[in-house]
Amino acid sequence: MEGQQYQGELLAYLQSTMRAIEAACTSIQMHTNPAAAEATILSLSRSPQPYKACKFIMENSQLANARFQAAGALRDAAIREWSFLSSDDRNNLINFCLNFVFQHAGSPEGYVQAKVSSVAAQLLKRGWLEFSVSEKERFFYQVNQAILGSHGLQVQFVSINFLESLVSEFSPTTSSAMGLPREFIEQCRKSIELDYLKVFYCWTRDAALGVAARIIESDSGTDEVKVCTAALRFMLQIMTWEFRYSSNSVKNINIFSDAIRPDNTLLNRTECIVVQPGPAWREVLLSSGHAIWLVKLYSALRQKFSRDGFWIDCPIAVAARKVILQFCSLAGTVFPSDGGRLHEHHLLQLLSGVIKWIDPPDAVSKEIESGKSSSELLDGCRALYAMATVTTPSTFDKLLKSMRPYGTLMLFSNLMCEVLKVLMTKESDEETWSWEARDILLDTWTAILTTSSGSSENATLPPEGVHAAASVFLLIVESELKGACASVFNDDSASDYLHASISAMDERLASYALIARAATDVTVPLLTSLFNDRLSRLHQGRGIVDPTETMEELYSLLLLIGHVIADEGEGETPLVPNAIQRHFLDYVEAEKHPVVVLSSSVIRFAEQSLDPEARSSIFSPRLMEAIIWFLARWALSYLMSPEEYKEANHDSGLGSTNQIQSYGSKGIILKFFSEYGNGKTVLDIIVRVCATTLLSYPGENFLQGLTCCQLLHALVRQKNICVHLVELESWRDLGHTFANEKILFMLNASHQKSLAQTFILSTAGVKNSDTANQYVRNVTSHMTTYLAELCDKRDLRSIAEQPDIILLVTCLLERLRGAAGACEPRIQKSLYEMGLSVLKAILVLLEIYKHESAVVYLLLKFVVDWVDGQITHLEAQETSIVVDFCMRLLQLYSSLNIGKISLSTSSALLSDAETDKCKDLRALLQLLSGLCSKDLVDFSSDSSDTPTTNISQVVFYGLHIVTPLISLELLKYPKLCHDYFSLLSHMLEVYPEMVGQLNGEAFTRVLQTLDFGLHHQDVDVVSMCLRALKALASYHYKETTCGRPGLGSQASSGSHPTGELKGGILSQFLRSLLHLLLFENYSSDLVGVAADALFPLILCEQGLYQTLGNELIQGQVNPNFRSRLSNAFYALTSANQLSSTLDRINCQRFRKNLTAFLIEVRGFMRTM
Amino acid sequence: MSDEEHHFEAKADAGASKTYPQQAGTIRKNGYIVIKNRPCKVVEVSTSKTGKHGHAKCHFVGIDIFNGKKFEDIVPSSHNCDVPHVNRTDYQLIDISEDGFVSLLTESGGTKDDLRLPTDENLLGQIKDGFAEGKDLVVSVMSAMGEEQICALKDIGPKN
Repeated sequence: MEGQQYQGELLAYLQSTMRAIEAACTSIQMHTNPAAAEATILSLSRSPQPYKACKFIMENSQLANARFQAAGALRDAAIREWSFLSSDDRNNLINFCLNFVFQHAGSPEGYVQAKVSSVAAQLLKRGWLEFSVSEKERFFYQVNQAILGSHGLQVQFVSINFLESLVSEFSPTTSSAMGLPREFIEQCRKSIELDYLKVFYCWTRDAALGVAARIIESDSGTDEVKVCTAALRFMLQIMTWEFRYSSNSVKNINIFSDAIRPDNTLLNRTECIVVQPGPAWREVLLSSGHAIWLVKLYSALRQKFSRDGFWIDCPIAVAARKVILQFCSLAGTVFPSDGGRLHEHHLLQLLSGVIKWIDPPDAVSKEIESGKSSSELLDGCRALYAMATVTTPSTFDKLLKSMRPYGTLMLFSNLMCEVLKVLMTKESDEETWSWEARDILLDTWTAILTTSSGSSENATLPPEGVHAAASVFLLIVESELKGACASVFNDDSASDYLHASISAMDERLASYALIARAATDVTVPLLTSLFNDRLSRLHQGRGIVDPTETMEELYSLLLLIGHVIADEGEGETPLVPNAIQRHFLDYVEAEKHPVVVLSSSVIRFAEQSLDPEARSSIFSPRLMEAIIWFLARWALSYLMSPEEYKEANHDSGLGSTNQIQSYGSKGIILKFFSEYGNGKTVLDIIVRVCATTLLSYPGENFLQGLTCCQLLHALVRQKNICVHLVELESWRDLGHTFANEKILFMLNASHQKSLAQTFILSTAGVKNSDTANQYVRNVTSHMTTYLAELCDKRDLRSIAEQPDIILLVTCLLERLRGAAGACEPRIQKSLYEMGLSVLKAILVLLEIYKHESAVVYLLLKFVVDWVDGQITHLEAQETSIVVDFCMRLLQLYSSLNIGKISLSTSSALLSDAETDKCKDLRALLQLLSGLCSKDLVDFSSDSSDTPTTNISQVVFYGLHIVTPLISLELLKYPKLCHDYFSLLSHMLEVYPEMVGQLNGEAFTRVLQTLDFGLHHQDVDVVSMCLRALKALASYHYKETTCGRPGLGSQASSGSHPTGELKGGILSQFLRSLLHLLLFENYSSDLVGVAADALFPLILCEQGLYQTLGNELIQGQVNPNFRSRLSNAFYALTSANQLSSTLDRINCQRFRKNLTAFLIEVRGFMRTM
Repeated sequence: MSDEEHHFEAKADAGASKTYPQQAGTIRKNGYIVIKNRPCKVVEVSTSKTGKHGHAKCHFVGIDIFNGKKFEDIVPSSHNCDVPHVNRTDYQLIDISEDGFVSLLTESGGTKDDLRLPTDENLLGQIKDGFAEGKDLVVSVMSAMGEEQICALKDIGPKN
């Protein structure tokens, strides 16, 4: 009776739960009170042991959504309670899910099935390391039976899907979060990779074999197609698995895979994942004729469905092609070391299938133009790309020769030419298939050419390849020129194109250049003749025809030429490209060397811009941009290269034939443009062209920016150029104009800054250090003198607000910033004097311009830059002058700004004012950080008896001034927040002893900030705060154990200034850190840093720690949890032989303990 | 040329010119500019070209510093724009009268009583509240092209 009654009650309970969940699901769907509905569903998954209810709902509910939610709840509960479940329970749950999936295989609500099978997969993974082999076998036996097809097609389909979700659960990138440590995930991954993947693969392959045969034979069979697609997709998933453990060690990789260079990816737009499964897979993937089966399957299907044009984009076709692509990317130890024969054979098989997609190129492209889907062609291109990635160019070329009279490279270049031709006929800017095909094929070229011209010298491009490259490049240039002509009058896109053109098009131009460099003998003369042809066209049409089209063509050509003959010099000095060094060996006379001829043509053309009349008729700002860009790029590799001296030594000293061969071509060019050849003339031309763009193109900001920031910087980067630069009359003229003429004040202020920097940097070419310092004084005197004079004016206050004065002050400050930023030890003295002479002016201006945020910012930034460059070199007395000044600046800024509120009706202006404030404060923080560095690096020559400034005291004082200006609102600006906390934590870490000496107000402020930072969202900020906390607590602990006061009275319990019984600050932090760790959300990356902070805190406040621990334990109602918690607390402080010293080993032990502690208790502490 | 005309106009208003000519290319974000005869703060500058091989032109977006309205203008970057002379003066706030005027203490010790409170509820609230709390307030008055308005408020400690 009782049993029956219990059953009845249970049933009633289950039914009411089901109804509640169903109601909640409906209300979410109808969007009536979703919050309450979500809470209902959440309560199911949070309740202890909700499995019965979940199962009941899954089996009985008519509502698919409710079944879905119940499965989710089951998963959440099981993951949470996993460690309490008995092994029977665990097995039952997984079996239940699997059976549910199999039984309902035909159900129309696919998403419920998918959810349940992913729940099964997740639970299986959770218990993966605990289940015995036989238990796993039992699960997989069922799956295997299902996949074999013994329960029908639908079961076959869902079981393959189950495997798919299982494998994606085991792959770290796609697994769902379970809060498990990385090692666990890694072990699972290793286990499945070594023991199961191949088995799964074979199962699905067999399934696919079976159904595929039926598909080809019969006409109907949507279910078969479904199964086959799923099987192919699963095979693809395994083929994209990142094999780590089965591919043996890297040493065993044969020559074939040596050709794979991972750094290719930098240039590439198309993704190509090289699959390296290792020798264990050889049997399955290669020996069994599997690849040929795949290719045949695809061909058969293709044949069968050839009538349906849409078939190419069907899931099954897409999946099959993708698997074939992955087969093309196979590499590594899966192939035996037989000199690459098997690999070649394998690729040949694949190519025989793939070739039908792309050959003959013209016919295929015509079909696509008349409506056929382009995906087959694109996949064909991708297959070529994959093959090119895993082979050497000559092997790649050889592949096709057994089938056709020509090699793969020939086919490949024909394909590329066809694509380019289609591209040329298209006028529209929208992305078509030919765009995509071109990009993939360009990547393929990159793959081929970087393997050949890169590290391995023996793998060169076969002659056919050179020929192919030449003909492709010809078409590329043609299409680029045509594109240039067509785009001239597209005014609307002009503005974005302008800025995108030089930087974003780089990528494509870089691949073009690679192709051109593969056939320099043809391409360089080609570029020369095209360039000269357009030039003469420009001259002939002067005044008669509209030159715009020709200008645009020249513009494109200049970009191309720049990319072909020189490399980019980002960050380092580029060398003359290898391809150019290795070719043109038979040219002895420099004047006839093709690269010299080409460079000279461009330089002569640039020189013509000096003539005002030519400038107005055949040059446009845009054309000048290309010229300046070209000159900057070219000068880095060729102009007065320091290489040239080295080579001269080589030739005279050793003179071996080998060296003459490898350096011969380069030597001739470099010599031609060296200081002994035409270098000085060319340099003079460049300087005069620069002066022209700065003086004769008013308002052309972009052009002037290129001139100042790229070309001039490129020149002064090299000392050997500077040597000649400072001697040039044209350079002196430019300097004179800069200092005295009004016209250069019309430049954009930031360009003036860059120009000032350039002039200072060019002192590297002045031999004598006194002369260099004098040079600096000459360049900067106009800035300092003017500012000082301005500040002495009696009517300063009234004239300062005039726009022209503001402009002038802005320009001068930018110039000063530029000069200050170019500080070198040799000219440090004169730059120090420069700053010193304007210190007074800066304070005056800061007061005068307190409402002019742009000027204030520049003033602060100048000081930051100047201090940054100077501080490490300053002697004690100078340091104290600078530090005093900085403090006065901070105080003045603070007094002018504290308590200030901007009023404006415009929200945009208000937020601007806020941003300005934020920028100012960042500058001030940077200034303080700059001062900090004096303690770390100091080059001053002082003896110890001169009184030195206490930097830490100064910086703490500075922080005390700045902190009140930083409101919580402002800390929402991430950069400011980051700067602030990094400075603060640096100070606390390096100088914890200073904290004890702070006055009460400053002390409280620091601590409040730390507390705020601990609860910040940004992981970096929190970890900085934790580090600071660690430093404070460690310092206090170490000091107090030695009997010293440590942080002083404020730190220890009971004597807080407010007099309340709140305990000391360390105890407050202990409390809040424990709370954070146990109850709040945080990134798991923080646990280590948190442990480092918690350990010294516990040591400082052991009594409080005991009390807190007891409170938490007493608070647990569930006796099971209570004992777990108290054990965990015990283990936290006693496991791993933890002792109470603060050394490294102990800290590491505590890190381990804390991680274990959190895994053990956080789960139930947070949910209960 | 229009530039010179402007120049002439500016000179005519001897002593305190309302506007100054400045090359468009040198005007930066956060600077000031006159658009449609209103003094504006520049919040956005972008450059483009008149045709691909033409000259640069600047596109300014400015916000009227007095009424917060947005204006836009396109000027060839080598041409001149008018830049307003924006003047700011600090006064101590003595009193707020009931008819919406403030009474300010000038540097020379006199009072300035011709300035209206802002009409915007929010701004008005900030000034009135601060004053009502008995704080010692300094207001900054911004003037340009013959208009003036309170633009900032600074608390310099409690009233004694």
